[in-house]
Amino acid sequence: MIESLRRGFAAIAMVAAILFGASGARADEAAEAASAQSFIRTLADHALVFVNAKTMSNAERSAGFRALFVEAFDIPDIGRFVLGRHWKSASVDQQQDFLKAFEEFTVLTWSTRFKDYSGVSLEVDGASPADEGYLLVESRIVRQQGEPLPVGWRVHKVDGKWKITDILIENVSMALTQRQDFASVIQSSGGTVDGLLTTMHKKIDELRAGQAH
Amino acid sequence: MVAATGLMVGCATPPPADDPDAVAEFKQTNDPLEPMNRAIFAFNSEADTLFLKPVAQAYRAAVPQFGRDRVADFLQNLDEPLVFANDVLQGNGSLALKSLERFALNTSFGVFGIMDVAKPMGIRPHDSDFGQTLAVWGIGAGPYLVLPLFGPSSVRDATGTGAELFADPLDIYLQSRYMDWLVWTRLGANVVSQREAYLDFSDDIQRTSLDYYATIRSLYRQRREGMIDAAKKDVESVPAANRPENDNSH
Repeated sequence: MIESLRRGFAAIAMVAAILFGASGARADEAAEAASAQSFIRTLADHALVFVNAKTMSNAERSAGFRALFVEAFDIPDIGRFVLGRHWKSASVDQQQDFLKAFEEFTVLTWSTRFKDYSGVSLEVDGASPADEGYLLVESRIVRQQGEPLPVGWRVHKVDGKWKITDILIENVSMALTQRQDFASVIQSSGGTVDGLLTTMHKKIDELRAGQAH
Repeated sequence: MVAATGLMVGCATPPPADDPDAVAEFKQTNDPLEPMNRAIFAFNSEADTLFLKPVAQAYRAAVPQFGRDRVADFLQNLDEPLVFANDVLQGNGSLALKSLERFALNTSFGVFGIMDVAKPMGIRPHDSDFGQTLAVWGIGAGPYLVLPLFGPSSVRDATGTGAELFADPLDIYLQSRYMDWLVWTRLGANVVSQREAYLDFSDDIQRTSLDYYATIRSLYRQRREGMIDAAKKDVESVPAANRPENDNSH
């Protein structure tokens, strides 16, 4: 009920922005911002279903979360950024292997993490333009205990659909952290992407083993 | 040979100058003492596993959340004079005033600080340390540094931490009254209370990073830069999420 009201308001806000906006461009901007916010809101609602479903098995949770994740995140874009300067020097096969491993690694990371998030909710506060073509949706994770956690979602549109490219928790970029983590692994394995892939597969096995029980 | 010499003095080997991308990355990482830092990091992790983490876990098991919150509030109130001093040194009048109000309210109505009564009134706590002050004065972070027991830092932030060990207003007062044991008790309580707060977070990072050291380095840097940017900004531009009217945590 509240959700449908909220969607209704977002739609009204969008229409109002289009009808009464001072200029067409500004109305477009407002509509984009509203649509990006409702994308994050809907995504959070869906994700929290998996988080709060106590009876769901780990396998079911992972499968549901994977479908959601693959749909909502721009994995090629994040993967390219995370690999940084090594993306160009990698072969096409290595790039594909990396993106596959990266998807697997991220899904496992977040589905493990999500188990700790029961009882939380996400409040979307607004959206503002980031760098060219990107918007930053600002939100807070409200927990039962402790301070609300500010979380930013860097999004852009791919073929007319919103996709997430970065998550900023208290202004700390997850993509940048991972880029620097991965760069260090590449460096210590003699500058090769294959060394990184080996380490990633080892980590994926560890995370799977950890999830099994 | 070059690598061996580098290791002996605890220095990372810079990449060859004809690889500009690699050189740029080396500069951005800004960790010329990486081998030494990694050794200290490993020592800290060991000390944490053997001693600090079990103590923090025992503390969590023994004291319920409400009690731990009271301890954290009490310790935070004791930090307020130092926060105030740094706000003043940064020339941040309105934050200094906030810190002063918090200390007055929490020490009196909050019963010696055990209840943060200022927060529900919209006077929220903020960070302010001497490393931040040095940054506001225009001093750059300098190379990354891992301090024994204190953990991730930088040349500038380590200077700030060192100065605070001697310049904390409350510690100076206690020492003048020959109550050094209280200074140490406070330090110990702070370490355990903060470690407890980070238990889940640190486990998560360790589980989900490929290189724990590099991940912590990146997280520390970004967090510090965020705090410093916030300190440099005018007080009026407090992020919307931190404004009391948007706060529904109570």
